[in-house]
Amino acid sequence: MNAWLIAAAGMSLSLVPCAVVCLRGGPVDRLVGLEMTAVCNSLVLLLLAEGFQRTLFYDVALSLALLGFGGGLVFARFLERWL
Amino acid sequence: MIARIAIDVLLAIAVLVTVLSAIGLAVMRDVYQKLHFIAPPASIGAICIVAALLIGEKQKQAVGKAALIAFFLYFMNAVITHATARAHYVREKGTWPPKEKLEVVDQ
Repeated sequence: MNAWLIAAAGMSLSLVPCAVVCLRGGPVDRLVGLEMTAVCNSLVLLLLAEGFQRTLFYDVALSLALLGFGGGLVFARFLERWL
Repeated sequence: MIARIAIDVLLAIAVLVTVLSAIGLAVMRDVYQKLHFIAPPASIGAICIVAALLIGEKQKQAVGKAALIAFFLYFMNAVITHATARAHYVREKGTWPPKEKLEVVDQ
């Protein structure tokens, strides 16, 4: 187990407070938790890609960063207009 | 040896910043306060990981992809934070842009 995988495991702990925020509070609070989860997950996937020495895995992190941004914007617009 | 230590320190900073920001997100009460805690992982965390990759990784393609991810996280974070704050404001006040001039609350 190298330093990258240890860092990925440590960074995964940040998902617990994000899950707590997503499970409690109002709709916008939950959206903030979701956005934070997308950022943390992108970084965890980045560390895992380096830890496993697979260049292909970087694309997964890149996809999540882009889709997390798009999803957050759509949710924000939805909450603003309809909910 | 020095490169190894530099990588470990940079990764430790990234992990620490991310975990503390997540805890801060859970502790804060207001949405506007919570929104501030998305920025540190997207900026400091991502930049520290890219710097560690720059030192430790020999494949430049991997470093380029990581830098692209850090770029997206850094600049899109500002956009999404604004969109979320605006959505919250509209849900509270019912209109955008605000009719009255916004004032900074003096503590």
